[in-house]
Amino acid sequence: MQYQLHASPRSKLKHIVRNPFLYAMAAPGLLFFLVFSYFPIYGIMIAFKDYNFAKGITGSDWVGFKNFDYFFTSDDFWIILRNTLTLNMLFILFTTAAAVLIALMFNEIRNKYFKRISQSFIFLPYFMSWIVVGMIVQSLFGGEEPMINTWLQNIGLEPVNWMFESKLWPYILTVIRVWQGAGYLSIIFLAAITGISEELYEAARIDGASKLQIVLRITLPLLVPTIMIMTLLAVGKIFNGDFAMIYAIIGDNSLLYPTTDVIDTFVFRSMRQLHDFGMSSAVGLFQSVMGLIFVIAANWITRRVSKESALF
Amino acid sequence: MRQKQSAADRTFTVLAYTFILLFTLFCLFPFLLMIIGSFTDEGELIAHGYTLFPQKLSLDAYKAVLQSEVLFNGYAVTIFITAAGALSALCISAMLGYSLANKRNVLQTPFLIFCYLPMLFSGGIIPFYIVVSQWLHLQNTVWVLILTLLCQPFLVFLLVSFFRTIPEELEEAARIDGANEMRIFFQIMIPISKPILASVGLFYALNYWNDWFMGLMFVDNEKLFPLQLILRRMVSNMEAAKNLIPSGVAISVTPPTYGVRMATTVLTIGPIVLLYPMLQKYFVKGLTVGAVKG
Repeated sequence: MQYQLHASPRSKLKHIVRNPFLYAMAAPGLLFFLVFSYFPIYGIMIAFKDYNFAKGITGSDWVGFKNFDYFFTSDDFWIILRNTLTLNMLFILFTTAAAVLIALMFNEIRNKYFKRISQSFIFLPYFMSWIVVGMIVQSLFGGEEPMINTWLQNIGLEPVNWMFESKLWPYILTVIRVWQGAGYLSIIFLAAITGISEELYEAARIDGASKLQIVLRITLPLLVPTIMIMTLLAVGKIFNGDFAMIYAIIGDNSLLYPTTDVIDTFVFRSMRQLHDFGMSSAVGLFQSVMGLIFVIAANWITRRVSKESALF
Repeated sequence: MRQKQSAADRTFTVLAYTFILLFTLFCLFPFLLMIIGSFTDEGELIAHGYTLFPQKLSLDAYKAVLQSEVLFNGYAVTIFITAAGALSALCISAMLGYSLANKRNVLQTPFLIFCYLPMLFSGGIIPFYIVVSQWLHLQNTVWVLILTLLCQPFLVFLLVSFFRTIPEELEEAARIDGANEMRIFFQIMIPISKPILASVGLFYALNYWNDWFMGLMFVDNEKLFPLQLILRRMVSNMEAAKNLIPSGVAISVTPPTYGVRMATTVLTIGPIVLLYPMLQKYFVKGLTVGAVKG
């Protein structure tokens, strides 16, 4: 089918006319992207406008970089930028570490039933919506007598006023993230481990290597490329705060904003509460541009590590 | 063949089992708390909070919740958007994926780029909000909950990488026998892709079942609230749990608000947890196909 690559526009058109179904079947999907992805991209221009509902996207007045000035010079900018990056780094670091550990240990489990049941339960949290997670967190940490405090007191520790201690929440969120995402990631790592040649293990066993040595000298090093790729993919998205997670758990508790407010929650709030569409879309555009740069950089590095793993 | 293990190896194996056991319990704990909490007597919940070993069990929370029209309505909305949404999303994605993967498609490259770009760059939620509410006027309709999630680039590309693994000879042979594109797609491609279609369909269904963001953005009409949104109201607002209980229902002296919160959560995740043992392998398959690419 190579000839088609160099075919003239006319013969291309002929192919389309003769095989309309092949192109028509792509239409609904392409239409979806056009409406829900490309129209909003066109709408980005409101970041440079004084958005007015009555005048609409095209009709509103241009204001240049005013929306950006306002945001970049505010204190909020540094706080939400720092929070977005710190939280994502904590999430990536601990989720990856936990997932690698789970995959390595899981690989040692020989009991079929134990294996099946434990994997099911470790994977299960991934299927919960963040609202459900938020409800659980609220049940543990919220209320006048948080359940966590009852436990702390039972083991002789001081109770903590959780809803005021913003310093603790990056760690709490990290634990939640590990709970929710480590199982999912470990399945990908396990799939990579399964791909390692049995001969290597056989040879190591004949040489009298211990299980620990096999894990450290064979499994782990051979898992490193997969770990790197998954990490790079995550780093590419480091500017995207997890809106669903943070908003479902923290909600409108402004006492916790100093450490948990991320770009996405900030944008949502400025839209909902301040109705500042111009400024919030300027923030959104800043995020999209930074995100794009990071994804391209991450992809470039991934390509150098392993060509077939790169996204593009 | 079973070799005698050294002491170090035995310790390592025990460590592995212990670690996995502990992590499993860590993952399981919130679920236990939720389920047990939903069956605990309200008086005890108020006095001691949620515990794993309640003194007194009660069905009051479920009795209250199951009489709630709000919740039934939420179930109806969620079931409708999950069924209608996942089915349409699967059809659209399968067709798009097949067209994108097909080497005979002379517009393959432009199509691929068109679908890839949204993964790399987005307009952000503000223009999205304006497009959906001001241009399409979809706010406060059930369609906004379905249409906005119809196509996930990640799942489309999962299908593309699967269709690419199907040997070309299969298609060629059918073509020589006189089958047109439509017949090839419906009678050859669809039947051999059943497992991957099941995985993708399930991921879509899960997306729809768990979504609340679109509802939060575009729906104010309580009649159109999906389950997740009803639950969300209860997270932030203790009183919201009371609204769920129809007035005039005498269950006990204190309305079981703590229990109702947990019972509603259990009912929200119930279908996922019940179907999960059957569906898990499809999810795992979907994930690993995506990760290993082809």
